[in-house]
Amino acid sequence: MTIVIKPTFAQKLSAVLAETRLRMINISRYPGQLALEIVIPVIFASMPMLLGRATAGADAGANFAANTGTTNYVAFLLIGSNIFTLVSNAFWHIAYWLRFEQETGTLEAVYLTPTSSLTLASGVAIYSVIRGLIAAFLSYIIGCLVFRVNPFQGDVLLALAFIFVGLIPLYAVAFLFGALVLKVKESNALVGLMQWVVSFLMGIFFPITVLPPFVKFIAWLFPPTWITNGVRSSLLGVGFFFGHWYFDMAVLWAFLFIAPLFSFAVFNRVERGVKANEGVGQF
Amino acid sequence: MTTLTPYSNSHQAPQHLTGLAAWWATLSAMTKKELLIMLRYPVELVASFGQVFLIVIILTLAGLMFSRSGTQASAENSATAGLVVYGFILFIFVSDTMWTIGYNVRREQKQGTLEQLYLSPASKFNSLLSRVTVTLVWTGTLCIASALLMSAMIGKLPFANLPLGLYFLILSLFGTFGVGFAFAAITLRVREAGQTLANFFQFTFMVLCAPFFPFSALPGWMQNIARFIPLSYSVDAFRTTLMGTSPELAPLQVEFIIVTVFGLVMPFLGYWMYRREEDAARAKGSLSEY
Repeated sequence: MTIVIKPTFAQKLSAVLAETRLRMINISRYPGQLALEIVIPVIFASMPMLLGRATAGADAGANFAANTGTTNYVAFLLIGSNIFTLVSNAFWHIAYWLRFEQETGTLEAVYLTPTSSLTLASGVAIYSVIRGLIAAFLSYIIGCLVFRVNPFQGDVLLALAFIFVGLIPLYAVAFLFGALVLKVKESNALVGLMQWVVSFLMGIFFPITVLPPFVKFIAWLFPPTWITNGVRSSLLGVGFFFGHWYFDMAVLWAFLFIAPLFSFAVFNRVERGVKANEGVGQF
Repeated sequence: MTTLTPYSNSHQAPQHLTGLAAWWATLSAMTKKELLIMLRYPVELVASFGQVFLIVIILTLAGLMFSRSGTQASAENSATAGLVVYGFILFIFVSDTMWTIGYNVRREQKQGTLEQLYLSPASKFNSLLSRVTVTLVWTGTLCIASALLMSAMIGKLPFANLPLGLYFLILSLFGTFGVGFAFAAITLRVREAGQTLANFFQFTFMVLCAPFFPFSALPGWMQNIARFIPLSYSVDAFRTTLMGTSPELAPLQVEFIIVTVFGLVMPFLGYWMYRREEDAARAKGSLSEY
């Protein structure tokens, strides 16, 4: 006789928090990695900054404003590189969690417990959000201080709202991507490529208006594009896609409802397929 | 009594373990193995191609946001694209060398295959050299493709003095491979921290050796530090020779000497460091330590 144990909500929550705690303890052992995570976005944003200053000289701000809508290129580029950190973290953490468990054979063991992969993925996502947000905020503030720009200008609360609303669809997309990793099993290459595809589409260092119409349309299908532009428009006034903040926010809310449902459906389907083909613990 | 000799059943392989033929056969076999491994991961192959294009495009578009004509094709924009592309070529070689030569030694240390190598009569130098070949083949192809792509997108890239530019590139690559050997030595010592160290070196190179912007953009004190790094002269000499502009760090003759010495000395220095650390690891028994 098979006994099916269905975990209660409290038990599921306990598993989620245990997963988060496990990841937190693990990463606390690598302080160098955490420090680099704060420094990297500043260095990355400084590349175009230094290039622009050197090539355009005194006209740097004016030229940048003509192309992007703001003379504050420091904040514009730092926002891009820090949201890139959040996006990149989401993809790496979810994909790596799956691939690592798959490589070490523990993913197979997970399926023998009453815990679902969705529960554990939520734990990984919470850990990833905490780590990503702390790194991104610190990096933005440090970057602004290094380049002598006020980090708290514009509508900070609205900018935060865009980030927090955007995080759920972002992790839903990352989960969808996890399904691809589960199937193809080459997480490094896929995440490496995907993070640059997303950073290109979200306009990490440029407004997406410079992209060709077809590419621009694809960019609009990605939640990070709306987060980046929402934050930039709230803080720097570069202009919302639909003129007012509430229209852009409405699009993010639409993503918030559609993206998780879609990605969970796809993930479950892939997971069932992988289980049926005995590929869960495959190296 | 039958005497067993290495490769005694093979008609193609050499009968001796020393000499040029054996050395060459070992290098070919090791290189073939590395290339085969590379081809076994088609997703990674395609992904790295796409990744390189995207990085170049993103940085070029970012640079063009400071240009008067925006993303429109113009001579000013070709110069910006040239600056990014030429810098990127050296950046990707340095970066790849760190990972494929330096950090791969750590991977072999973890897998235990590094220790196995010492049970075979194969040349340890060839083991390092075979990784260089992969970097040259693959990264070289990526660089040529990205340069062509940028030429098609932004306009013709400047090639003011191609032969001298190639000379600087080749000598810089020799030096870079030497840096890779030295990094492999460090990785043997620091083990798991090698990954963080590789990231750190990569970003130090990105800032101090100015591959994506002119040296004049750096604050004075950073320019002074940059002058102590031979790779800075490689970037400056290679980029300014192809772009037809004046070098920023030193007169071209001086940069020529520095890049040449760096290219000729660094591989030997790096290999000497690697052998030293390798001997120390053998003595400590940490060649296959996790």
